[in-house]
Amino acid sequence: MRTARRNGAPIISAHGIVNRFGEQKVHDDVSFDVARGEILGIAGGSGSGKTVLLKTLIGLRHPDRGEVLLDGKSVDALAQSERASLIGVLFQQGALFSSLSVAQNIMLPLREHTDLPAETQEQIAAMKLELAGLQADTGIKFPAELSGGMVKRAALARALALDPRILFLDEPTSDLDPLTASGIDALVDELNRSLGVTVIIVTHDLTTLFTVCHRVALLVDRKIVVDTVDKLMRSDHPWIHDFLHGPRAQGAMQARTRSHGNG
Amino acid sequence: MSSASTEASASLAVRGDGDRLTLEGPLEIATIGEATRALALWLRQRVAGRHRALDLGSLTGLDSPGALLLCELRKKGVELTGVRAEHKALLDLVCGLELKRLPKRRVASRWRQLLIQLGRSADEAWRDTYDILAFLGRSANEAARALVHPRALRLPSISRHIAETGIDALPIVGLMAVMISVVIAYQSVVQLRPYGGEEFTINLVAVSVLREMGVLITAIMVAGRSGSAFAAEIGVMRAREEVDALKVMGMEPMEMLVVPRLIALVITLPLLAFFADITGLIGGAVISQSLLDVAPLQYIDRVHQAVDWRDLFVGLVKAPVFAIVIAIVGCMHGLRVHGSAESVGRETTRAVVKSIFLVIVLDALFSILFEKLGL
Repeated sequence: MRTARRNGAPIISAHGIVNRFGEQKVHDDVSFDVARGEILGIAGGSGSGKTVLLKTLIGLRHPDRGEVLLDGKSVDALAQSERASLIGVLFQQGALFSSLSVAQNIMLPLREHTDLPAETQEQIAAMKLELAGLQADTGIKFPAELSGGMVKRAALARALALDPRILFLDEPTSDLDPLTASGIDALVDELNRSLGVTVIIVTHDLTTLFTVCHRVALLVDRKIVVDTVDKLMRSDHPWIHDFLHGPRAQGAMQARTRSHGNG
Repeated sequence: MSSASTEASASLAVRGDGDRLTLEGPLEIATIGEATRALALWLRQRVAGRHRALDLGSLTGLDSPGALLLCELRKKGVELTGVRAEHKALLDLVCGLELKRLPKRRVASRWRQLLIQLGRSADEAWRDTYDILAFLGRSANEAARALVHPRALRLPSISRHIAETGIDALPIVGLMAVMISVVIAYQSVVQLRPYGGEEFTINLVAVSVLREMGVLITAIMVAGRSGSAFAAEIGVMRAREEVDALKVMGMEPMEMLVVPRLIALVITLPLLAFFADITGLIGGAVISQSLLDVAPLQYIDRVHQAVDWRDLFVGLVKAPVFAIVIAIVGCMHGLRVHGSAESVGRETTRAVVKSIFLVIVLDALFSILFEKLGL
């Protein structure tokens, strides 16, 4: 059984989030807490508002009602530099700046928010690349020269640039071959253990949900259900049952047994 | 130095002296700048024993740059003592990394770069010329086929492009033509007044609008409006693999995408140029009334004397040629897009720059040609 180190107040708490597009409600009174050091997976059917919820959590979208507290402070009240050192985001397509090399991408937040000498910045960038599982040589490449898996890793290195305490990952394993995807999963687990970073993963990937996440939040019927995978699997809500017992879930379940058996 | 007690920052303190130092407070990205300096100073000092130790028991926070600094110290032989349990995992992770320097990109010297750039541009210009000629040939071939086989002539598509490139452009083209004749009129009045030839302003306006300005301004406007639109539309289709989808389903992109745009522009650009001529002349009438006190009827008379059908012809005959250049360059660059979204932007810019350049070059050649022909 995977458990998070829980101490003190929740690092993220969402209260009564309502998101509306015109007449259509995507989220209706969504509330949940995330503990420090936890890995929370957010999943749901296509169009259930996973990415909208993510954007709300990181303050890119202002909810129609409700509030998001990051480390006890409203996300809207955070100063820019405060927000930058509190959260790091891995966007779905990586969102690496195409005119900058990978190393420059990582150094950009360091240059903007710290006054470290250039040499130290380069050292830190090289370290982040290694942390994300890339060679330092990758630093001089440009985003267009990278493969899909490398883009995700480079973007992860950039998200880690300021040692954020919360890491948001939007579909970190989508468009990746299964081996590379497993590599990303293992990396997230490793970073969570050693850096103590809280991780929110928005994903469709059942293997990620089953093997890496401590708890899973499912967006169902405009509401959210948060619990451990084991408890959710016993849920009698038809969609949740189908989602976690479908043909693809079987394989993910086996992966979970295997990874837990080894580790 | 007797006692090294350096306040590294408001929150991190480096205390102790000699071969033993203690870090107090958080060693994080905000404080490592000062800490690095203080510790570098310490490493340069002579100490009694060979052995140096850094106590981390009072460290309240550690992030990965901080851990990196500590690992470097450890490599230099400094012993790290009193590591707290919560920092151990991070320290082990960072120290376990195979830390290499970021490689530098090799840069050629400035003069060499200039030479390389020159060669590259020349090569590109040569290849571009070849590509444009090849594309012109292919489009001509497809267009001819479409005209012979009416089934391949896509009338709905052509009419949509006529509306977009022609009718929608009327207001802006008309406005620009009026503005240009105002500019010419003002310049001419100032230049001709000392010689008492103010009334020749009308000749100048009429001749330059009909022979040159009407069609040139229209072509530049259309290159900016429609040439870019062609490149961007087709480019986005390329980027989203829509062009490949057409090919797979047995449809020829040249016939579906290029020929309708080409035909539409060859129809609309001369009409737009004619419209620009008329509005330019009307602008001339207004400005003559206010600057020279020439009544509209008198103005028409003067225009009659100044220009004849040949001037109109010399202007308008260039329009279809410009249309072909703009459509060909726009579509060609659209089809050159590969892969990413940046590529769409780049090719669109190139299409506009190149088509305006070619329009002006061709206009100059036309001027020489008409002079030789005595038109």
